Amino acid sequence: MIQSTAFPVSLVFPPQGHFTQPYLALPCLKAWLQDKGFDDVELRDLSVEAYDHFLSPEYLAWAKDRVAERLPLAELESGESLPFRDMRAWRAAAESAVSADALIERIDEAKNVLRSEAFYDRDRYVPAVRALYHGLRLVSAAHYPSELTPHNFTMRYANDRSNEVLAATIDGEENPFVRFFAEQVLPDLVKRRPRVLGLSVIYGSQLVPALTLGRMVKEALPDCHVTAGGGFLAYIGEKLMNAPGMDACLDSMIFHEGEAPLEKLCVALRAGESDLSEIGSLTWFDRRGGKATAVANPSGHPVKLDSAPVPDFDGLPWDKYFSPEVVVPYDINRGCYYGECTFCTLPTVIGPGYRTRKASTIAEHVVQLRDAVGAKHVNFITDCMPPGMIQDLPDQLIEAEANVTWWSDARVEPRAYTTEGAKKLYDSGCRKLLFGFETVTPRLLKMMKKGQSLKSTIEVASNCADAGISVTFYAMVGFPSETRAEAQATLAFLQEHSNVVREVSLQTFHIDEVAQTYREPEKFGIRILDDPAADLQLYHDYESEVGMTSEEAAEMFEEMMAGLRASLPLFSGDNIFYFMQKSHYFLHLAKGTLPDDFVAACRERASAREARGARPDLAPSPGLTSIGIAYPYGKVVETLGHPLARAARPDFLTGRFVADAEGLAESRLEPVAAGQRVLCYDAIACDFVELAPDGLRALDALRQAGTLGVLTDSLGAKSSAARDNLEAFAARLYQHDLLVPTLVPASRSATPAETATQTDPSHAH
Amino acid sequence: MPTKENENEHKDAQAREADAEKAAGAEKANAAEGLDFANMDLSVESVEERISPSETNVFDK
Repeated sequence: MIQSTAFPVSLVFPPQGHFTQPYLALPCLKAWLQDKGFDDVELRDLSVEAYDHFLSPEYLAWAKDRVAERLPLAELESGESLPFRDMRAWRAAAESAVSADALIERIDEAKNVLRSEAFYDRDRYVPAVRALYHGLRLVSAAHYPSELTPHNFTMRYANDRSNEVLAATIDGEENPFVRFFAEQVLPDLVKRRPRVLGLSVIYGSQLVPALTLGRMVKEALPDCHVTAGGGFLAYIGEKLMNAPGMDACLDSMIFHEGEAPLEKLCVALRAGESDLSEIGSLTWFDRRGGKATAVANPSGHPVKLDSAPVPDFDGLPWDKYFSPEVVVPYDINRGCYYGECTFCTLPTVIGPGYRTRKASTIAEHVVQLRDAVGAKHVNFITDCMPPGMIQDLPDQLIEAEANVTWWSDARVEPRAYTTEGAKKLYDSGCRKLLFGFETVTPRLLKMMKKGQSLKSTIEVASNCADAGISVTFYAMVGFPSETRAEAQATLAFLQEHSNVVREVSLQTFHIDEVAQTYREPEKFGIRILDDPAADLQLYHDYESEVGMTSEEAAEMFEEMMAGLRASLPLFSGDNIFYFMQKSHYFLHLAKGTLPDDFVAACRERASAREARGARPDLAPSPGLTSIGIAYPYGKVVETLGHPLARAARPDFLTGRFVADAEGLAESRLEPVAAGQRVLCYDAIACDFVELAPDGLRALDALRQAGTLGVLTDSLGAKSSAARDNLEAFAARLYQHDLLVPTLVPASRSATPAETATQTDPSHAH
Repeated sequence: MPTKENENEHKDAQAREADAEKAAGAEKANAAEGLDFANMDLSVESVEERISPSETNVFDK
């Protein structure tokens, strides 16, 4: 009989992950532990809690003051030109100066839009997302040079060097999570006194925040065992546990799936054991004898997936996710039944072998989740569904009357994604599938061992598109030996098939230490470059005998992305926000919008905006503010977007850090010459626009006159050139919502009061 | 009942209002004064953010 005793466990998802939906690993672990008699398991999604906390009027007001102290704009504007090394700081200071007050006032309303039915109104959605992005820029500026975005968290420290990672965990100035944890998390944990704290580290961007929390909890609660696991640690965990000083942040680390090791760890700790050497897949610090020594236990056996309980999401902060309805993740299998692709290292993350749940179990669990947490939308977590599952799962979901919509990754399986197969998938609720397309070049597909032809890929995609399922392709640029011409051919193909492929997830190729490309570089014609100082190195630079260099591939990424933005309606202008926020486009599909209709609306929105012309009733937006700046803002932003500039700081997501990149960027990217300009920000449209000083004078004249019509009338008939110039100016500002019509109400964002009344308190369920 | 004093006050207020409107109208009409719109730099520069690879990895597990 399983005994239940007081043994509180806290499972924490540290910042930074997507803010639109929860992650799956910890709900799986909570369900497993509870099934084994641990009935006091708490879930905390500190990533979404942190986003929600930072994006609050109070925090942004604090950030505004802090930016003014740390990055005084006047000091940054004292030079005749702005060198590359000062560009980020100047941009942060200038943006903060013009937008902070608007963001402080606007941020709650923006969050309400994303969490309510207003989400489905494009003219309210886009400014709301912009407000979140700009709010995070203000938060980042307060911790300069750290940067927190919706998709990443980076600091000046490189996360492939353990001494830098550890230094980052105690840097209260630049690490925003030190204060967040101390004030918002630690008091609760101290009160709760968990015996085990489990940290889920899926991404590199979570490493510093996770270790920061681990260190703080170990200091505050010496009896709490701090363990960590997850995808990113499966790659670098061994190195991390052997890095000097890491025992101050962690007690153990779990490799691959966590169910069995975590259960055994809890059982051992509950029994008061200090020898943890019998727990499979655990590396732990043996502190007996006063010194911490890392001990790596042998691998344990994976669990039988089909007998694993339904994930338990209870306790997650449903009302904090930035989506009107939360899409719930659920794993239908673990591992990959194909498992051949030479670039893929997911088996390292998930563990060896392929295991699946039965289709009937999946349908049963989906119904349970629907009834327990009101999950109407599911993100099936899988590397790819085998052909049998593609046929069985829709039947089971339909038979169980699950009535959910879902999306998932998929592999090109021509026998399964037939016309009939795709139709049945749609009938079962499938609204979006993401296929690994990678490249149009057969030679590269062969090197990648993708095992699929271009013909079958497009046939499968067309069948899905015809059935009403939106198709996304994963594509890759910079695979060893790929030439510019080959990458351009891939772009041309994707552009040509934009009526079938609605989104492209384009990634630059990276070499990590477990990939075949790293282990057998000669097969791919490359030479791996090592960085001896990087004791946590996962990603490696390489030299290629033929094809693009890493830098050329980064440039080609820009070219391809620009091409996709020009051709895919979902990527055009600010429509790309739907693609960039996980599940946001899918939620429109789930609501009944067909991909064709969504795309048509994207096109219409972009063209209607472009077609806006001058009209007499245009007046400056009531939310418009401006400041004088000493350098051209657009030029600085353009320079900072250059691949060389981007390589100059550590990227926690890819882990790649080119040590001399800062100097290279400084030497190759021109300083920006001083020139008086005006930076405008509109609190309603949430958009930055740059003007010449003359533009500000014209805006003041417009304000004084009241409307464009009054101003142009006052010019009389004497100068048509003046009228033309003024009207063209007004039209451009109207396109950015900096001027708004006063007679016919434009489709603008609602007031906070309006938004509040439209917020459905049960939206998360 | 309105007294003569009140009536006078009312007339004064009306006159003040009319003067203010007139002044506002004149101000509006003079908004363009001294500005040579034909030769002003009225360029508008918007910034489209470049999207880095780390911002497109939105379909990960």
